[in-house]
Parts: sequence; structure tokens; C-alpha cells
Amino acid sequence: MPPVRGSPGMAEFSLVAPRTVDAAIAELRSHAAHEAAVLAGGTDLLFDLDHGRAPPRTVVSLRRLPWRTLDWTDGVLTVGSTLPLRSLELDPDLATRLPALAQAVRAVGGIALRARATLGGNLGRSAPASDLLPALLVLDAEVDLVGPEGNRTVPVDRFLKASRETVLGRAELIRAVRFPEPRPSAYAWQRVRPVNDISQVSVAAAYSPRDRQWRVALGGVPPRTIRVPDAEASLRGARPDAEEVAHGADRMGRHPALVGDRRASDEYRRRLASALFTRAVAAAVAPGGGRP
Amino acid sequence: MTADRAWVRVNGRDVPLDDVPGAERLLDTLRWRIGLKGTKEGCRTGDCGACTVLIDGRPTLSCLTLAHEAEGAAVVTVEGIDDDPVGRQVVAAFRDAAAVQCGYCTPGFVVALTGLFKERGSETSVSSLLEDLGGNLCRCTGYAAIGRAVARARERLR
Repeated sequence: MPPVRGSPGMAEFSLVAPRTVDAAIAELRSHAAHEAAVLAGGTDLLFDLDHGRAPPRTVVSLRRLPWRTLDWTDGVLTVGSTLPLRSLELDPDLATRLPALAQAVRAVGGIALRARATLGGNLGRSAPASDLLPALLVLDAEVDLVGPEGNRTVPVDRFLKASRETVLGRAELIRAVRFPEPRPSAYAWQRVRPVNDISQVSVAAAYSPRDRQWRVALGGVPPRTIRVPDAEASLRGARPDAEEVAHGADRMGRHPALVGDRRASDEYRRRLASALFTRAVAAAVAPGGGRP
Repeated sequence: MTADRAWVRVNGRDVPLDDVPGAERLLDTLRWRIGLKGTKEGCRTGDCGACTVLIDGRPTLSCLTLAHEAEGAAVVTVEGIDDDPVGRQVVAAFRDAAAVQCGYCTPGFVVALTGLFKERGSETSVSSLLEDLGGNLCRCTGYAAIGRAVARARERLR
């Protein structure tokens, strides 16, 4: 048999795949925090392992846990944390009930990457330019956690702390993500290549029929994806007029988080944030509720 | 085969995973452990699609899949694509459209397109299929011919 070759920097680690949630938590507790990593789909983690950003000795795979689920009950969508994004995207009701989420999922990598990538992994890794986090914020996603201290549910806005920092405790796992109601919504992004690229800036917008308020989120900015309350306040009612949208776009473009880096200058990001806001709101209120 | 032995089925053949290190990528298992060199390593970071295989029928990046994560699954590589009636038509369409330049990206495109037809049916529009092939790169930039192959494969399957 020829030798098995990997990439030169390929990490060595032991892989364990517990069969129960309790066993997974116990496994994680048996290691120092920085010596064990949790594997959901692995699309982000394996890159980090190969490039030395994460050197754990043990990788705990969630593949045997019964979390590859998707459930609609009375308009509430619950997505198991290890469901591949490709399965979520192929759900026949997603694009009409939660258009921003459907569009955001399609913005993550290509189809063969989405066959592995998961909502739980994206949240747990919480990259600042994640395409999913803006949609999760405007849809008021709730994150169900399970850990040594028991279960808790955290709104996504509270779950995210900073770039790659979350409230996840030691040995705590994301079990599912819940979306409380269908919302007219949209997700708009800008990048160099349409597929398999990182968004320079992205904007999600959603209108809640329940409280009649808009939510607007800005992604691709440090230190984390955020809600933009001043831009939200510019929009009144289900069908904001042109003046309200222009006012909101102006406020979006002045957000202090819009700074320059190697992917885009601050000036370009400010213009993008305004334009993408306008586009996202227009798409959210368009007939059909969110096709950009 | 005992119940607690780990294995993966590759092109219809059971491959034991017991001796495979946890860190080994499915891509490396396929190419270097069982000698199936049709699956290509392009970027190894999930950006090019050259390593696409079918896992339980779905196009999946083998460079970002640990071999053990495919435990119990059925993997089809480009070497096994001819055994699939849809795959055969896709291969024929690529040949007819001369949609191959250096050929390095071709296995990934053929496998991904085969999986897309199986997942979404042959009524799916050409533009939608091309959008879904956006994760597959052709560094020869032979996309016009690949586009013709996609249209031709769809015609063959309808």
C-alpha cells in the first residue's frame, strides 16, 4: 500500500465520536479547554487545524448525536445543530417563510461545502464575516445549549460576544437553533466572487408581523455581527416609504463599525452598507417576501 | 464484518476504517490508501471543488471530510460514476461537448453535476444548475464548454 500523504502541515489529533450527549459532554470535560475541539461539519475547524490556529489533541465529533433534524411546528422552525446546511436549503418551505435565512445559507461556500457545513458549527465558530449570523440576528434566532450545568436557551444576540467568541461554556454544546416566526426578510451581500468568497459587508433585514418592528443587521464588521437600531428606527410599518429607506441607508453608512481592512476600504464599506440596506429592505417587502 | 468495526463503502466496496488515523481526510484515504486517483486535490481548503465525491448521493468535499466522518456511508468517486445511469449520461455529455481542457477539475464537475441531477431532478434549469456548480473552479476557464455539457446532460436525462 502506498503511504498515505496529507498536506505538509496536517495536524495530528485523536478523533472521538461519542454516542450520547452525556458522553460527549463528559469527553469534553476530561480535557483542558484548549486541548479539545468540537467537530460538527468541520469546514472551518479543519482549516484551522491544518493552519495551526487550533492545536487540540482531541477532536470530539458530534456525528453520532441525533441532532441532524429539521422541524416546523406552527411556523416555528427548529434546526438541529448538526444538520448540514444543504439539507436546510433544500427544505421546501424555507425560502417562503424565512427568505433571509434561505439566502444566507446559499451564500455559504458551494453546494459540496454546504453538504458538510452546519448551522451549529457556524454559530460555535462565530467568524466575524459569517453569512449566517446577520440572518440569525434579524430573525431573532434562539440557541439551545446543553452542558454540564444543564440546558439553557440564549438569544443569538446574547450568544455572540466578539470575533470567534461566544457565551458557550466549557463542555457546552449547541443542540439546536430556533426561529420563532416566519418573517418577510432578505439578506444582501457584496464580495469579489459570488460563490466561495467572503462577504466584504452584508446586511440582513426582516419585518416582524408580531411586533411590527424591523430588525436590521450588519455583517463583515469587527468585532462581531451586530443589530443596527438607528437604521431599524428609520423604518416604520410593513411597507416603509422611500424617504424612510433613504434615511435608514444614510444611518447604515455612518455606522462606526465600518472600517477598512485588506478586503475593502472604509469608504467602500460605508457605501456598500447603505446600498445593501436599500436592497435588502426592498427585497424583504417585494411580493413573495424576499427574493432580491 | 462485526457491528463495531468502522467501515465506509466506496464504489460498492467496503473499506475498513479501523487503521485510518482520526485526522486523515477522506480525500487522502481515497487517493493514497485505496489508490483511487480520480478524485483530485486542488486547494484542500474547500474553495475549488476538485475533490467532490458523492456521500450518500450528495456532492461533498472530500478534503473537508475526515474519513471517519463518512463511517457507514456510501461514497461514489468519479471511478464509480459510470455505474450510475445518471453519471453515465453526465460523462457522455462532457465528452460530446468536449468540456475538458487539462482535465483536473473534470471529476469534480462530473460528480457534482451527477449529484445535483439526483438531488433535484433533470427538470432543474440550466442556470440553476450552473449556479449550484459555482463551487467548482476550472482554472483553464473552460466554462463555456462546461456550460454546454451541463445543458447537454440535462437534455440526455429528460
